[in-house]
Amino acid sequence: MNGSAPVHRFGRELSPRVLGVVMNLPTLLILALVLAYPIYYAGYLSMHRVTLVQLRSGVFPFVGFDNYLKVLEDPLFLLSLGNTLLFTAFTVISEVVLAVMIAILINQQDIWTSRITRFLILLPYAVPPIANGLIWSFIYNGKLGFLNRLLYSVGAIDSPIDWTANPDTALYAVAVPYIWRTLPFAILLVHAALQGISKELFEAASVDGAGAWHRFRHITLPLIMPVIVVLLVLRTSFAVAVFDEILAITQGGPGDATWVASWYSYKKGFAPPFDIGAGAASAFLLALLVATLAFIYIKLLYRRVD
Amino acid sequence: MRKTPLQKLLLHFANIVVIGFILLPMAAVVIGSLLAEKNLAGDTRSIIPGEMTLDNFRVIVTQGAQRGQVFEQATYLPDNVKKIYHALWNSTVISISVTLLTLIFASLSAYTIVKLNLRWVAWLLTVNVFARFVPIIVLMIPLYVVFRKLGLLNSMWGVVIALTGFLLPYGILILVPYFASIPKELDESARIDGCTRFSAFLRITLPLSTPALASYGAIVFIIAWNDLLIPLILNNRAEFMTLPVVIASLVGDVFVVFNLMMAICLIALTPSVVLVLLLRKFVVEGLTAGGVKG
Repeated sequence: MNGSAPVHRFGRELSPRVLGVVMNLPTLLILALVLAYPIYYAGYLSMHRVTLVQLRSGVFPFVGFDNYLKVLEDPLFLLSLGNTLLFTAFTVISEVVLAVMIAILINQQDIWTSRITRFLILLPYAVPPIANGLIWSFIYNGKLGFLNRLLYSVGAIDSPIDWTANPDTALYAVAVPYIWRTLPFAILLVHAALQGISKELFEAASVDGAGAWHRFRHITLPLIMPVIVVLLVLRTSFAVAVFDEILAITQGGPGDATWVASWYSYKKGFAPPFDIGAGAASAFLLALLVATLAFIYIKLLYRRVD
Repeated sequence: MRKTPLQKLLLHFANIVVIGFILLPMAAVVIGSLLAEKNLAGDTRSIIPGEMTLDNFRVIVTQGAQRGQVFEQATYLPDNVKKIYHALWNSTVISISVTLLTLIFASLSAYTIVKLNLRWVAWLLTVNVFARFVPIIVLMIPLYVVFRKLGLLNSMWGVVIALTGFLLPYGILILVPYFASIPKELDESARIDGCTRFSAFLRITLPLSTPALASYGAIVFIIAWNDLLIPLILNNRAEFMTLPVVIASLVGDVFVVFNLMMAICLIALTPSVVLVLLLRKFVVEGLTAGGVKG
């Protein structure tokens, strides 16, 4: 602050209109380049024939909705979409239930082990997803794996189990590492909501003779419901895009048991025969799904803010 | 609400189960990284087969020059792993640049959303909520084609720009409620003292927002450090790879053994895990602010 400056310096002050443009310029430019244009361009690519040949020549013939039809008629895409929905439902439901339970657990001030859990709870959040996937593929490995070693040493098994080899359970085997990595966020969210509940409410209920379940059902649950709704939408929209753990642990296998929508788009666009048009079309369908979820999220939450 | 001894016992037991689940992969990666190739394959039933060794790390840090005593089979080291110093450097430079750029751009935008009453700026918040949900996988193909045209493939800049754009909406969403919680009077008194809006932003809003900036900075650093898809797609030459891309390149390689993989994973996860445990408070605040308040 310059001591000799006049009280108002309107002469040098930018108008809010101009200032708004100037201060938002970097954000607008970068969002245009990285988000807006690519989303538009994904739509464009999905309506054109683009493979390696077209990429080299630079001419993308218009094909209308052919790529979408091709993708929607592909049994592998439908299977991938089905797997995505199954994976999402399983991880989201498990995470919400576990998050509420563990959040209540770490909220127990008089249990000293809860403090250790509270300290460690954030750890999985920091682990790179691809490293997490690779660690779990070591854990699951049938011949050399860590989990079998643990089970041998406590005498739980006699012969090795190949945890990801069974097509019926492989998707759940991938879901566990995903839950491991993403659960901390869910727990912290619920925990933050729990801390906002006043202790007097519980004490009054205790005096009235309400048991633990009763208190949870009639006090805790209604008060953390808004956070659970947020959690449902956030986790759902991120789980439909799972990729790293699939790449690290199963690469879609065994067979096509763990093909999910994002893996399908990746394989279409970046593996032979490099059908970028169809890959973009499948990704666009996934984006529509996520946009619908985001829309619900905004409707539920952001109408409160202003 | 006194607990009975049985209730306490059950709660302790529940904590032990949760702690065990959190630590299981940590135990696997630490133990795996300290095993010798021959012991891992020779004894498939013990948790710790044979003696522990630091040879896996020795092989990696010497870029394959030193094999170590305990490797009896010839340990094959992929070329990408030999470039581990490149990967460490790239990951560090990219994560730090992305953190700084997103902090600057996000606070500029968040300030205008909170303090300037312009309709299109307010609308920017809604755009950001939507953008927050765009899965990277959707942008992957068009980003590749667009960056290919701009000559940004196989460069640090390409990855920095893409990650910054991808993380910016999240930052704006975290900073907006925080900026809004700073009393208007502070801003107004600075203006009466002769500050322009922009210098009030620099001298009042930013310094008062240090905790929010730290929270958001820590989260962005971790997401950038951990991100796989963007550098995987944009950079495929070994000297531009980040650590997650090097790790991903080992996945299909049947000759790479688990002990080496675990050592590389441990190297990749240590910086972000240490950072999170050090800045625990900030990270927790940032994560819950982004979700709860909004």
